[in-house]
Amino acid sequence: MLMSRILILLISIGVIGLVAPVSIASDQPQSVDVIAELIDQADDGATITVPEGVYQGNLVVSKPITLLANGDVVIDALGKGTVIELRAEGITLRGFTVRGSGSTVDHEPAGVRAFDGPVTIEDNTFEDVYFGIDLRQSPETIIRNNHLVGKDLELGRRGDGIRLWWSHGCVIQDNTAIDLRDMVFWYSEDLVIERNKVSQSRYGLHFMYSHNTVMSENELTDNSVGIYLMYSNNITLKHNRVVNNRGSSGYGIGLKDCDDIVIEDNALLANRVGIYIDNSPSSVDAVGLITRNSLSFNEIGLLATPITHDNVISENVFVENEEQVAVHGGGQLTLNSFEKDGRGNFWSDYAGFDLENDGIGDLPHAPRSLFRNLLAREPNLRIFVHSPAQQAIELTARAFPDLSPQPMFTDPSPLSTVPKLQLMPSSDSTNPWPMAVLSAGLFFSSLCIGWFFVYTPCESDTQVPHPPRRVDA
Amino acid sequence: MTTLSTDQFHGHEIQTHAGPGHTSRMYCTIAFAKREFFDALSSRWFLLYTVAFSVLSIGVSYMSLAGSGSQGFAGFGRTTAGLLNLIMLVVPLMALIAGAGSIAGERERGTLLYLLAQPITRTELLIGKYIGLGIAICCSMGIGFGLSAAVLAFNAGGVGLGSFSMLIVFTCMLALAMLSLGMLLSVLSRRSGIATGLGLFSWLTLVFLSDLGLMAGTVLFKLRVQEVFAIAIINPLQAFKMGVIVNMNASLDVLGPVGSYASRTFGDSLSWILALTLVGWIVFPLGLALILFCKRGGI
Repeated sequence: MLMSRILILLISIGVIGLVAPVSIASDQPQSVDVIAELIDQADDGATITVPEGVYQGNLVVSKPITLLANGDVVIDALGKGTVIELRAEGITLRGFTVRGSGSTVDHEPAGVRAFDGPVTIEDNTFEDVYFGIDLRQSPETIIRNNHLVGKDLELGRRGDGIRLWWSHGCVIQDNTAIDLRDMVFWYSEDLVIERNKVSQSRYGLHFMYSHNTVMSENELTDNSVGIYLMYSNNITLKHNRVVNNRGSSGYGIGLKDCDDIVIEDNALLANRVGIYIDNSPSSVDAVGLITRNSLSFNEIGLLATPITHDNVISENVFVENEEQVAVHGGGQLTLNSFEKDGRGNFWSDYAGFDLENDGIGDLPHAPRSLFRNLLAREPNLRIFVHSPAQQAIELTARAFPDLSPQPMFTDPSPLSTVPKLQLMPSSDSTNPWPMAVLSAGLFFSSLCIGWFFVYTPCESDTQVPHPPRRVDA
Repeated sequence: MTTLSTDQFHGHEIQTHAGPGHTSRMYCTIAFAKREFFDALSSRWFLLYTVAFSVLSIGVSYMSLAGSGSQGFAGFGRTTAGLLNLIMLVVPLMALIAGAGSIAGERERGTLLYLLAQPITRTELLIGKYIGLGIAICCSMGIGFGLSAAVLAFNAGGVGLGSFSMLIVFTCMLALAMLSLGMLLSVLSRRSGIATGLGLFSWLTLVFLSDLGLMAGTVLFKLRVQEVFAIAIINPLQAFKMGVIVNMNASLDVLGPVGSYASRTFGDSLSWILALTLVGWIVFPLGLALILFCKRGGI
């Protein structure tokens, strides 16, 4: 009897020992078929809560249902194909981690690809995906609060973070994209694009033939280009922050053949080019409005092709751009207006004065630069910028007005004080202490070295007694 | 110029100094370095340059940051660009003139003969002088940069700490290269007036004439990008400028087609190539000066 009890005890211990690994096994990755079965069993419009865990494989959703992640739900395609395909309208995908799409160029595998709209894609995290979210004719879709990180590929070889194809009326808000190619909108109209952050990508926001959209409060940093609008009309850019986009094109905002663009209250800082205008507006009766932006610390503040016309550029702040305004290939911008209702722009290099104290400079701002003129003719000379030789040429031109070229543009009423701008504040704060320590370190180490050299005796003075002083002959 | 204090530099000390030969040689070099540094401090030029460089660099830092605070953005790039022009004008002038005066001045006053009568080698003398002047100039700039960094920290926070440090490193290399050239001119000249004149002419050539000439050449002969780049980096000032910009922007694209060519062709090694150019400008003129100094007489 005792024997059998001990036996039972031993067996039960053994069973527990065997069961334990089994219960661990449920934490092991499962197939996405588990989710697919849940979807199969659900009715249209149902809400499915997916239990926590890692699910491997490619998921296709072809029923209008709501998929919610219960905690940390990872769907991993293990580097093959598109992770999740949404093939019905009315699908909601919320809270998932989408990981490991393929990276072949021919099928353009994505984290989530939608073929029908509207769908809602919210609060998801995308890791190691080729394309992030790809909408193919999914109108009125909502893409909100997703975090996307791309694959570590060369810039042109990467996939797009968010791509819209023929998807009108979509809302794209609060998304973050890092290490991807573009956030690109093809043939999609009436979009709302707000508060997205794109960094270390190729084009932050890229419009192709997509009209009638307002973009506001987006933050685009460290990309090749911040915002590039191409062949897209009637677009308003407001309160965006475009900083440090210095790739091979390096435009903060680029406009190519776009009509009726409004650029207002944007901060365009430390880009290679603040705003680049290539033949915009292109239609006869269209205009471009560039108002109350800060174009500061860029290599070139405003760059435009010589045929650019009918832009009204007023109340902007041009501070300390290496070149404030430049014409691509040389020429003048006289077909554009640099003032509106008697108010021009603020130029940090304005050399005039304001005796009347009305906030408007008494002399027009008509910068002329011999060196810039030379640069436009001979681009190779750009290697000499930031050098005293450049200053020498400018000085010569000033001393001999005959050498001075025609002014590139004229601002008839430049602002004499910096106007108050309503820009989006920076989200990153910098710590001044390392610089302060460097400052103090440099200062005092210099003084200490000086003190050491002057006041410490020579090494041998301490070892060798001074011989009697000799008198020079 | 303070006169040589005999109790520090006559032969007794060195002969009685207990230690292996190279220690006493080191000692001689350091002693000369100290003396040179002390002379630099007590002469007006050092003080003048320090004050001028400090005031100008604070001014440039402050001006280029004006108006940036309201945007919550640090215009570090512009500060550096402004500082670049200042450095390229002032630092070569300072180092060339200091170097040019060093040997020629002693020779003119007759103190060089006296120094050479001591049991030290000419190499020790020249290297000692070079080290002393080099440290004096670097300290002078260190004070200027320190104050400039304070302005940056106060107005812009810690933005661009790395590239600012690289700016300091490259500036020191530029100063040492120009000092090296100045000492070569000094060894060649019989009188300090001639040496200073040569120094000024070299400054004018390096800062203005060579660039303007190359500009004209680029336009007239339609030089290709690789040719423009190769000729441009021979000038230590251009190598310095490109080195600073590479470390600031990670690429030379801002310098147009020539810069793009350089970045594409040399990639990450570009920064090292430019630094090596400067090191070459430190080593070769100094080496040449040594050879000539050892051959020439003291008069």
